[in-house]
Amino acid sequence: MGLRNPEDVSMRIGRWLGGVLLLAAACAPAPARTKHTRPGTAAAAAVPHALVIDFLDGISADRVAERARLWGLQLRFNSAEGSRSGIAIADGVDDVDAALARVKGDPEVEAAEPLVQFEALAFTPNDPEFDKQWNMKMIHMPEAWDVSRGKGVVVAVIDTGIAFEDRDEFVRVPDLKGTRFVDGYDFVNDTTHPNDDNGHGTHVAGTIAQATNNGVGVAGVAFEAKLMPIKVLDASGIGTSADIADAIRWAADHGAKVLNLSLGGPGYSAVMEKAVAYARSKGAVVVCAAGNSGSGNVSYPAAYAGAVGVGAVGPDGALAPYSSWGDELDIVAPGGNKRLGPGNGILQATVERGDFRKPVLAEYEGTSMATPHVAGVAALLFAAGARTPDEVERALFAGAVSDGKWTPRAGHGRLDAAGALEALGARSQAIDWHPLALSGVLLALLLLSLNSKLRPGYLNVLLNPATLLPLLLTTVGWWFIQLLWRRFAGSPPAAVEVLSLPLPDWERILFGRGRLANPLVYSALLPAVAAVIAIKWRAIRPVVAGLALGTAGFLLYAAWAKAPGLAYLPFTFLARPWLIFNGLLCALLGRMMLRREVPR
Amino acid sequence: MKLRGTVQFRDVEMGVWVLSGDDGHTYQLAGGPPTLRRAGQRVEVEGDVDAGAVTVAMVGPVLRVRGFRAVG
Repeated sequence: MGLRNPEDVSMRIGRWLGGVLLLAAACAPAPARTKHTRPGTAAAAAVPHALVIDFLDGISADRVAERARLWGLQLRFNSAEGSRSGIAIADGVDDVDAALARVKGDPEVEAAEPLVQFEALAFTPNDPEFDKQWNMKMIHMPEAWDVSRGKGVVVAVIDTGIAFEDRDEFVRVPDLKGTRFVDGYDFVNDTTHPNDDNGHGTHVAGTIAQATNNGVGVAGVAFEAKLMPIKVLDASGIGTSADIADAIRWAADHGAKVLNLSLGGPGYSAVMEKAVAYARSKGAVVVCAAGNSGSGNVSYPAAYAGAVGVGAVGPDGALAPYSSWGDELDIVAPGGNKRLGPGNGILQATVERGDFRKPVLAEYEGTSMATPHVAGVAALLFAAGARTPDEVERALFAGAVSDGKWTPRAGHGRLDAAGALEALGARSQAIDWHPLALSGVLLALLLLSLNSKLRPGYLNVLLNPATLLPLLLTTVGWWFIQLLWRRFAGSPPAAVEVLSLPLPDWERILFGRGRLANPLVYSALLPAVAAVIAIKWRAIRPVVAGLALGTAGFLLYAAWAKAPGLAYLPFTFLARPWLIFNGLLCALLGRMMLRREVPR
Repeated sequence: MKLRGTVQFRDVEMGVWVLSGDDGHTYQLAGGPPTLRRAGQRVEVEGDVDAGAVTVAMVGPVLRVRGFRAVG
């Protein structure tokens, strides 16, 4: 009559399955690390007027001070290692060569050389005018591009339109050839061709996703993102709050994850505020210009609670004289300051002011120019694995350059793309326990739905290693292996890091975090296949139960938390129904696996 | 309504003509004849403030100009 010792067997199978998984992970190619990525090669450059001196190990601070007086140098230990390593730095040396000659003769000096600074080689695009884009360097785009380029994230540019198509008298500017677009809308003329008859929107769009590394013109922040052109402002750059509210809702409903609003007015509008809240509830980040009044009044929509209000700084990092500031300011970004002379504005491709048939490179300044930098970095963060507007905003603010506190003239600080991605990486390393908790609740509900004769005990299920291990693996990953590894064996290998992540996320780690989630991986496929095997092979049912329950918790939580975009699904709106359907299917499979066999 | 002030050009965003009002506020000029747009000109503008307007210039409320006269 079946298996005599199902517990024994299932435990053995649990171990066996665990072993197979470990083996598979060990054989997997090393994951493309995306967090804190610094390429192995580095560029070196001598730091002027500085040298490094390696004294005999264990030299006392007094002896070093004595040498400093003797040589006439300002010496300090390089690190807290201090005398133990004996490495000291001399700054402000007028004649480095002469100083080296003096220092090298000393018996207590092991070595001395000019101080060299190592810089990680970062992605430098071949766009010929990139050198003039001080703004991109200010927010550390080259370093950020090593990590994320915004792949696939839809950014709506709600503005005067974009010069994105050759149609009638309109043109696509050459430096937007290669940039990807999704369908947009023209709310001013009520057409599906939101072309730019002003030049503002195209400039803003360029900062977000100018075709980059294409040998033409300039670069954009998130050049692998997709732009959604939406026209709400007329040829004179003026529009109504009603059109803008409509546009915000439209963009959020059509899959935009980031909304860029480089526009504003002094008048509060409840309709627009509700639209901003709606977009946020749909999982979109709403980034708005603080205004150019130079006063302490942030304009609307930037001042609404759900919006990220962006002020502008010049190349010197100081708040630009035109930039608005105040209580609702969230962050500042490069917007240019032309009072400092030519070259200090923001340079992007657009169409000529007054002649929208003529493509030009133009240098503008304004909080409108600062805003798309933030919107672009928001797209990088979504592509790098951020799931919610909250996560994106936290990373933007935590990564910003600041004194560590919010101020009305700088918000949370100055935008830093590399810093924001690093802040996100630090966050996503923390374990998200929600899917596991949800699985626990699901388990309780499923057990209650079973007839008491068929129902195993809650803890009996949960504490069975054959169930618990796959449950943990699919919801939070086997984080404990990494902890133990660090404790006893140092830095864990890639395979262990992969095991420490929830099973459905392995694909994204193995093939790059920037990718969207694969709907087949984010589905009931694996538990279903396992369940089919378990029809005949009853012993593995506890394992399949854990797998199914965990996947159910993971998928349903992903749906609840505004899941990442799923790749290959034709419509974005299918993503959540897909997750919910598969999550429920997994729960059902789990229930089947949990049912006790009752002897007849 | 009638507003007195000085016409100015500000090279922010796409460039914008404003009325720096004697009331201390800055108004973005919309409409009106080309002769209005002369930097430094003292004027009295007749028009309406469009409280619901949203712009790329974001320098202050939009003043829809119906007419103006130069004043000393």
